[in-house]
Amino acid sequence: MEANQNAGNSVPLLSVRGIYKSFGLNAVLKGIDLDIMPGEVLALIGGNGAGKSTLMKIIMGIYSHDSGDLSMDGQAVALNRPSDALARGIYMVPQEPLLFPNMSVEENIIIGFDRGKAELHRELVDTMAEIGWDLDLSRKAGSLSIAEQQLVEILRGILRHARLLILDEPTSALTFDEVKSLFKVVRDLREKGIGIVYITHRLAEVFDIATHVAIMRDGAITIQGPVADFTREDLVKGLLPPNAADHTQARGASGSTVDYGAEPVFELDGFSGYGFSDVSLKVWPGEILGVAGVVGAGRTEMATTIFGMDKVLGGRAVLNGKDITGKKTRHVIAAGLNYVPEDRHLNGLFKICDVSANTTSASLFGGALGRVLIDRRAEYDITEKYVKNFRTKVTGHDQLAGSLSGGNQQKIVIGRSLATDPGLVILDEPTRGIDAAARGDVYHIIHQLREQGLSILLISSDMEELEELADRVVTMYQGRINAEFQKADINQDNLTAAAFGIVKREAKEA
Amino acid sequence: MTAVKKFFKAREFTSFLFLVGLFLIVGVINPSFLTLDNISACFNSSVVYTLIAVGMAFAIFIGEIDVSVGSTMGLSAAVAGTMIQNGSNWFLAFAAAILIGLVVGLVNGWGVAIMKIPSLIFTLGTNGILRGLMYLQVGVEQVNSLPKEFKDISSMNLIGSFTIYYCCAVALTVGIHYLLTRTKRGRWFIAVGDNAGGAELVGIPATRTKVMAYLICAVLSAVAGIIFASRIGIVTSLSGNGYEMKAVAACVLGGISLSGGVGSVIGAGIGAVIMASISYLLVFMEFPSNYDNAITGVILITIVVLDALMQRRAAVNNRHARLAARTSAAPGGKEAAEQ
Amino acid sequence: MSEPKVKLGGQGGLRRLWNGPNFRWNLFLLALIAVECGVFSMANEKFRSLPRIFASANGDLTFWYVSIFVTFVMITGGIDIQSCAIVGLTSIIIGVAWQDFGFNIWVASLLAVAVSVACGAISGFFVAYCGVQAMVVTLGGSFLYTGLALLVSTLSSTEAYKGISGFPDDFKALTKIKVFGLIPLQIIIFLVLLAAAYLLLHRSKYGRKVFLVGVNPAAAEYSGVNSRWIVMSTYMLSALAAGIVGVIMTSQLGTAKSDLGGSATMTIITACVLGGTLSTGGKGSVIGTALAAVAITLLRFGMPLCFGINKQYLDIPIGVLLVVVVVARALANSPALIAKVGGLRKKKESRAGA
Repeated sequence: MEANQNAGNSVPLLSVRGIYKSFGLNAVLKGIDLDIMPGEVLALIGGNGAGKSTLMKIIMGIYSHDSGDLSMDGQAVALNRPSDALARGIYMVPQEPLLFPNMSVEENIIIGFDRGKAELHRELVDTMAEIGWDLDLSRKAGSLSIAEQQLVEILRGILRHARLLILDEPTSALTFDEVKSLFKVVRDLREKGIGIVYITHRLAEVFDIATHVAIMRDGAITIQGPVADFTREDLVKGLLPPNAADHTQARGASGSTVDYGAEPVFELDGFSGYGFSDVSLKVWPGEILGVAGVVGAGRTEMATTIFGMDKVLGGRAVLNGKDITGKKTRHVIAAGLNYVPEDRHLNGLFKICDVSANTTSASLFGGALGRVLIDRRAEYDITEKYVKNFRTKVTGHDQLAGSLSGGNQQKIVIGRSLATDPGLVILDEPTRGIDAAARGDVYHIIHQLREQGLSILLISSDMEELEELADRVVTMYQGRINAEFQKADINQDNLTAAAFGIVKREAKEA
Repeated sequence: MTAVKKFFKAREFTSFLFLVGLFLIVGVINPSFLTLDNISACFNSSVVYTLIAVGMAFAIFIGEIDVSVGSTMGLSAAVAGTMIQNGSNWFLAFAAAILIGLVVGLVNGWGVAIMKIPSLIFTLGTNGILRGLMYLQVGVEQVNSLPKEFKDISSMNLIGSFTIYYCCAVALTVGIHYLLTRTKRGRWFIAVGDNAGGAELVGIPATRTKVMAYLICAVLSAVAGIIFASRIGIVTSLSGNGYEMKAVAACVLGGISLSGGVGSVIGAGIGAVIMASISYLLVFMEFPSNYDNAITGVILITIVVLDALMQRRAAVNNRHARLAARTSAAPGGKEAAEQ
Repeated sequence: MSEPKVKLGGQGGLRRLWNGPNFRWNLFLLALIAVECGVFSMANEKFRSLPRIFASANGDLTFWYVSIFVTFVMITGGIDIQSCAIVGLTSIIIGVAWQDFGFNIWVASLLAVAVSVACGAISGFFVAYCGVQAMVVTLGGSFLYTGLALLVSTLSSTEAYKGISGFPDDFKALTKIKVFGLIPLQIIIFLVLLAAAYLLLHRSKYGRKVFLVGVNPAAAEYSGVNSRWIVMSTYMLSALAAGIVGVIMTSQLGTAKSDLGGSATMTIITACVLGGTLSTGGKGSVIGTALAAVAITLLRFGMPLCFGINKQYLDIPIGVLLVVVVVARALANSPALIAKVGGLRKKKESRAGA
């Protein structure tokens, strides 16, 4: 903050003071202070769940905050709904543009305005000429590429005379050339005195485009100030927990070591699909292989493609010597692989079903639950086994899964995958959105499973978690594996740098 | 793109071509069909369907459905018909019909937009209530002694051999189309159905728009009821039964997507003509009119299945393109792929 | 905190029943039936005669049988409004196959039921594998199968509006059988179908999959459930039920007609929703549907008998019942909605204050 006040002598465009926000018991924002000056590009960086999107949604009036103040041009403002924010010149370009796919580009841009159509059209054409964009205004928005959709969103903002433009990870779906043209636009806008908040996962972009930078971690801002004041290493440090150094090397999976001489349980060879390309890796018996990376790096797409949910574009997946490339999900499960999805609510849980139905949902083929009718005894035994082993807190097997806490829900979903007796489990962000105690329980479960000789592919963007659990880690960046770390090299510094696209030489050689 | 080009690319133009093709095929099989009188009869007979289908189009635009339109039409026909039969002022009867439409529309809009009850279930319920009220109004007898001058309006021609009613319906449809495409608020209906979340973000009041759609739908059905009474001359307790299904079919035939956000009321009007013509055309093809339902069903299913398959393919391709863009961005990636 | 104990059997048994699928709602429906019986039998002593009630039940068979299996469809999140058309189609196929093509009456019935299942499979295929809304497909299906029924009737030498009659006695006798001299066979068949549906939906692995697909289709896919086939099969089941109804009604009336199904669609859907089926899928019970069907039948039988209300007005109470149930459930089951209403009020106040 101090840095900002020194840098600019004008009044901040938007000033955020002491914003707190929690969802239920989960505190997401813990006192955020932030200033954005006109003509400033503020890069906002942070891992998943750091609270970036929540903060932006509060600024856009989509969420309300618990306490704190927002002011524009030095005057306090109340932003209760999106139209309030729009009226004050704040416009957010969401990560997945929210266009009307069946309307033309022009209609998409001018919808929701109070002014006349002809006037808007003229202004739109002028604006596009000024920035030098060429876009067929009569095309259906549904036929646009993501980059073009983002341009449309930005045009919407400019036409609304937005003074503050929020770009939420605009480059996550863009090609290299598209990124370049986007940066040009951002520079043009900056020169016009528009304040820009640029949310990103890519550290390299910060130095390309931003004038200021703020790093969020765990609902608080750890670093902020002019970009020139920082080096990449400073930024990486800001992304790490404060006591990260103490933890380094202090932990690690105890117990048995992995026998790398044995045959690998699972092997990907040049595996390609939508969202990832040319992935090769091996998992040995009893090994926890971490897959690090940021959201959108292609990790989840890789896992779901192995699991038979999407088309394989190339390469092979081999499990216990059996080729499972492109098999249907139930055959993959039968072959001995199961997957715990990243999005528990969307893909994992049957909320209005009870605990036992959830636990046994993947065991419905094969004879484990009886031939035609459900064997109640077997159902009870399977459910009881995982409820007990995982110390899941339920009032009974008939409690609805939706009424459990996040951690217990996650235990149920993990239990479901294990109930099919797999040799390899893919855990995708197993501790996302659950509290610290439950996280400890999940770690305990993972250790336990490893001791039992199960192989685990652990996908996580929580580097601390990988440090604690993994025997070996590969990092994915933009759909490809860009580094591999052996046990000794696994530390948050290395992993974070690689996940954000900075590969140190020695790591690459390893 | 010029206006003409746009017109030819529009979905409703395909429906229009379909209708022309239908007429031509029948004309080839039986040349005596191709007279102005026969063709205008097809259009004239579609007037009730047209109004209901245009109303239904609003419900479908916002991504919902209203299966109470048939009963709304029937009740309005019964109430207005009884009033006119008993010699009351025609305008009063008209006002009563509109009032029925407003009340029904408000109730449906409340249930669907505010209470968030699935529209099919909720309007099915109001449909039952309205149908019952209609029995109460009509009783076991029928409304069948409507004054001659009221019935005669239906056979008066305005332009050529097109009746006053049909001309009014066309004018109304075109007017609504103009409002929907040329005004700010008009676009809201399509926007809400196209992307509800996006609509809220650009400041469109989604709930209010939905209630409005149900109001328009019910009022148009009520107006259709008066025309029904005048054209047919008899209102029984079963009048309007099943019209909701014909209206949905007309909308689908007119290129309106049932997932919301796509189509135009002009399309609904053309679809209504197709629906009304099928049984008429069968007579000229010397087919028993029994084929009517089967043909409607086949056309309806074919169109929605093709539409759904095309939409799904577009969605999948979109997703894949999006994901592919992420990987090819890797600067080091290209070399790796070559190795 | 001590480890929670998981209970099964013993004292858990009662609680399990209490929390079981739809149990409390079923109790409510039972109470509704009891109230109906009480009120109607007080109002008119004719209501107290069981044979009379059974006779009235026969008229409502269409939706009794069908709604049980439409419940399956609705649990997957779909809807089926083509059953009535399939009932008519089945009936006319029996008639034409027997009279004009010389099939044995039982073979003709089997053939007709097979055709009805095929009809369900076609609609189910479009819903499950092509992703078309169930509402539209079955709407198209209701047109198509009504039309097909008319076409089949033109194959016959008998005029369509007369219907085909003169069936063999043993076919007609099927529905004249009275078990214990009191309970018509139709009721027994209903109970058998109900028991089968109960086992299938609430006790079998298939039924579990039906629920899982309805609750969360994506999660079901991730559990390896072939959700498309499951969805398609529910339409086949409901068509099978419609086929059976077609056979029984043809036997009962002694006439095969293409419009035998009438327009019971709304009653069928009402029975499902009133029986506790969630119209968005994932929740429902065949017992609930059956109880709701009984309650509706009693209403349709009792109101005209005891209060002289014309049968045609009965759409009002049934419609009101449907609307009240869905509105009340939307209110009760959605704390978010309640909070939102409260929140709106708060927001308004704060704006007024500002």
